[in-house]
Amino acid sequence: MIGTSISRWTMTYFAVALVWLFVGLLMIIAGAGYPLAAVGSPDTLVLVHVICIGWLSLAMCGALFQFVPVLVAQPLFSGKCELPALVLLSAGLIALTSGFLSLGGRLPPAPWSLPLGAILLGSGFGIVIVNLGITALRRPTGPARFVLVGLASLAGAVGFGAIFTFALSGRAGSMGQLVLEAGIPLHAIAGLGGWLTLTAVGVSYRLLPMFLLSPDVDDRRSRITLIAGTLALVAAGFGGTISIWVGAETDAATSIAAVLAFISLCCYGRDLFMIFRDRKRKQLELSMWMATLSLASLMATASLIVVLLATRTFVSHVGAVAFIAVFGWLSGLVLSKLYKIVAFLTWLETYGPVMGRVPTPRVQDLAVEGRASKWFVIYYVSAWSGTAMLLNDQASAFRSAVVVMTIGVVGIVRELVRIRRLDDVPWPQRLPGGAVAPSLLFAKN
Amino acid sequence: MTTFIDVDVRPILRSGRDPFSAIMSALDSINPGEGLRLFATFKPIPLFALMESRGFSHAARELKDGEWEVCFAPCDVADASVPLDAVSPAFDNWPGPTISLDNRDLEPPEPMVRILAAAEKLEAGQTLSALLGREPGFLFPQLEKRGFRWLGGFTADGTIYELTVKAPS
Repeated sequence: MIGTSISRWTMTYFAVALVWLFVGLLMIIAGAGYPLAAVGSPDTLVLVHVICIGWLSLAMCGALFQFVPVLVAQPLFSGKCELPALVLLSAGLIALTSGFLSLGGRLPPAPWSLPLGAILLGSGFGIVIVNLGITALRRPTGPARFVLVGLASLAGAVGFGAIFTFALSGRAGSMGQLVLEAGIPLHAIAGLGGWLTLTAVGVSYRLLPMFLLSPDVDDRRSRITLIAGTLALVAAGFGGTISIWVGAETDAATSIAAVLAFISLCCYGRDLFMIFRDRKRKQLELSMWMATLSLASLMATASLIVVLLATRTFVSHVGAVAFIAVFGWLSGLVLSKLYKIVAFLTWLETYGPVMGRVPTPRVQDLAVEGRASKWFVIYYVSAWSGTAMLLNDQASAFRSAVVVMTIGVVGIVRELVRIRRLDDVPWPQRLPGGAVAPSLLFAKN
Repeated sequence: MTTFIDVDVRPILRSGRDPFSAIMSALDSINPGEGLRLFATFKPIPLFALMESRGFSHAARELKDGEWEVCFAPCDVADASVPLDAVSPAFDNWPGPTISLDNRDLEPPEPMVRILAAAEKLEAGQTLSALLGREPGFLFPQLEKRGFRWLGGFTADGTIYELTVKAPS
């Protein structure tokens, strides 16, 4: 097939990801993990991995299966391994979180659970990395290069995580213990910074100009963002690994990485400014407005890190930084893009086959932006309020903010389901000329 | 036996540039009776009809990693090395466009909507031409399912994608 076809399992990834998001939010509301428990406690580890793997990584994988082929104008290397990868990732996450719960005494001891989780997750992510990596390598230009660096970071994050699981179950020797004691920041940087952030930045370099009708950012410009970001990851990954190897602190490596990451973010900010300034489409749709709020959260995250480092209070507020990075920046971006992607793919699947032969609704006819906007506003305001509560050590107020945030997510998911079921398209136009309604959880193509 | 001149555009494609002018200059430099062996990172379908119109048949072979080797041989030279089943049926001479669209400033997916709507109005064998800001990746499967043929490519400066669509005869 020439061109880009609809990814069959992208919706399934999105649905499973949203289930994990609710699991994570309900955990916070129930008081499991940070801030009521320590940052490094088993309950917090469950929470962090439910959100970062279950929610963010699965949603990212689902989106990449659809959009890496768009970035490189090539079909996906294999259309048959998305579902097996999803099964492995879900099973792996269940095993991993069970292992953490055992560590915390909430489940009976199961020392095999953590390594099993690592093996399953490693296999699932391995399939994803090979499939997307080979696809991106077919035309490794511009945004596809970001995806390649993101996939390499994912491999690094999974590698560190696997060593941790073997060390926690007493199977990795003294070197494993050393990596476990010093390597957690590197694991987090590779996962949140390299995999999730750099990949999202790369994809946005293509999708934002596409939907704003702006000129593409020249590859030579976006390359500076990529090089600075990659050097930050190399400084953290290799510098940090060498530091652990020789028994030194990893602070020097992570500090250099932080400076390089900040340079990368500044370049990205400059390019974003140009994309928005030079756009031909002056009126922004809801998903784009909401994406700008997540980009603002990214810049706020970077500013917060600088302020906390300058006032030497970073360590005591690392939870607040992680919260705004994960929920303001990454989750906000994913939710706003889901709103766009689900509408577009549903429209294409339903009306593509009959388009031109009978009058068909527009993409925007599938969504009711006025109704959805309030859920997004509720989401962002409560995410930012939650960050402020964490900075002020107001744990109960923070949980109240997360309750409101969850209400916002419920509202957004309801809108996504309505889009998928074509509920807001009036009947005469809903299924014209033999168009077939899509399935909620996968594409029928 | 046809002598083939090798043209490897894979480095040009990998760097994100358009290989069209390199292929055309190679075509201008070959001697009568010689063919062109092209190496590309994808199957260069839009090129087949163009080369057909210049008197070259083609035989395409997939290499590893999704790359392709395509031999363009002069049509009047019988070449036993080219498997007949790999040569696509000859393209007719395409008539000038019946409909012309300028979709450059339209937000996606409006260019696709307009092209499909216009394509459905074409009589058998007629063509339409469209200017776009981007390669319309999601359009191609829809055209393929409906039996349309198309030729497309970026202009040399990479800013405009020119697409011609031909209705089934």
